[in-house]
Amino acid sequence: MPKVKAKRQSVSLDMTAMCDVAFLLLTFFMLTAKFRPEEAVTIVPPSSISEKPLNAKDGMLTISVSNEGGVYLASDDQLGREFMLERMASRYGVAITAEMKKNYMASEIVGYPAGAMRQVLNMKPADAKKLIKGIPIDSASNELSYWVGYAKLSNPNLKIAIKGDQNSNYDVFSDIIGTLQAQNINIFQLITSPEGKPK
Amino acid sequence: MAEIDSSGGGKKGGGKKRSKKMSTKIDMTPMVDLGFLLITFFMLTTTLAKPVTMQLNMPDKTDTKETSPVKLSETLTVIPDEFKVYYYQGIPTDAGTKIDVTDYSDTGIRKVIADLKKKIGNNFTLVIKPTKKAKYHNMVDMLDECAITGNKRYALLEIDPSSEDLIKRSKK
Repeated sequence: MPKVKAKRQSVSLDMTAMCDVAFLLLTFFMLTAKFRPEEAVTIVPPSSISEKPLNAKDGMLTISVSNEGGVYLASDDQLGREFMLERMASRYGVAITAEMKKNYMASEIVGYPAGAMRQVLNMKPADAKKLIKGIPIDSASNELSYWVGYAKLSNPNLKIAIKGDQNSNYDVFSDIIGTLQAQNINIFQLITSPEGKPK
Repeated sequence: MAEIDSSGGGKKGGGKKRSKKMSTKIDMTPMVDLGFLLITFFMLTTTLAKPVTMQLNMPDKTDTKETSPVKLSETLTVIPDEFKVYYYQGIPTDAGTKIDVTDYSDTGIRKVIADLKKKIGNNFTLVIKPTKKAKYHNMVDMLDECAITGNKRYALLEIDPSSEDLIKRSKK
């Protein structure tokens, strides 16, 4: 009787299944990766040791301050945004067409004086970039005060976040705080980038 | 990696010469490597850049209720400027008030705050009055120093002319 030989197994294994899984996961992560929303201005926030993540459950109104001192407003509360536009337009006597509303909802930020509202909103958000220079905040016409006021009116639980560029001047920040304090808004979330805690 | 054909076929020795049949299997190791590398990259980058916040509470201006006074001897006023920090204890108009200047490093303002906090104790209050030239990150740095030194009592105020005079007089 001949000896029974163990059958020699192939050393290479079929990697098709593993490859399939790998690429499935890859596709998933690539598609779900959220691109940073397009900003009209680049803002580099200062770093802090704070570890509290941004919590925007009830909606977040973000006031951004650019390096040059321009003030911009963004909100993730869509209903509130519509309300803000309607109130601001009626306050400054701007007739809002459906087209203007569409452009307003498509753009992430508000960053123009009410006087330029008609001109900016009649353009596609991508074309109007040059006109986005900031909301007036000086004492003569503090439009930020109205925008924030209407936002708070539509959603009293709205949280206020301030995202300042690290090299923006402190006095702009101080003006914003003053504007908000005049409306009895006293709690702010300062957006910063994380940094290691010193020993 | 060469494939080992274990099917044991081809016992037609000596017959017609046939073109050798190529294996349909290809080596997928590098492809899988690349796949997992990209997965790792996307997994790490989607969670790394989450912004964090620090909460800033300002006093209610409409609230006229008298709050507990803060002793002057227990306060330190810091005046962040663009590249340096001034600090003094007491009233700026006093002739005896000594103003000093330091920097934003670990051994600079942090040491000053930590030392004074150790000396004074829990009632230590920090008053932050950024200058007109100060940048936003200077103020955030000061709030950060408060968090690092564990100081919960601080106030953010506008700079007053007497403090500005004090800086001018000190010529630092």
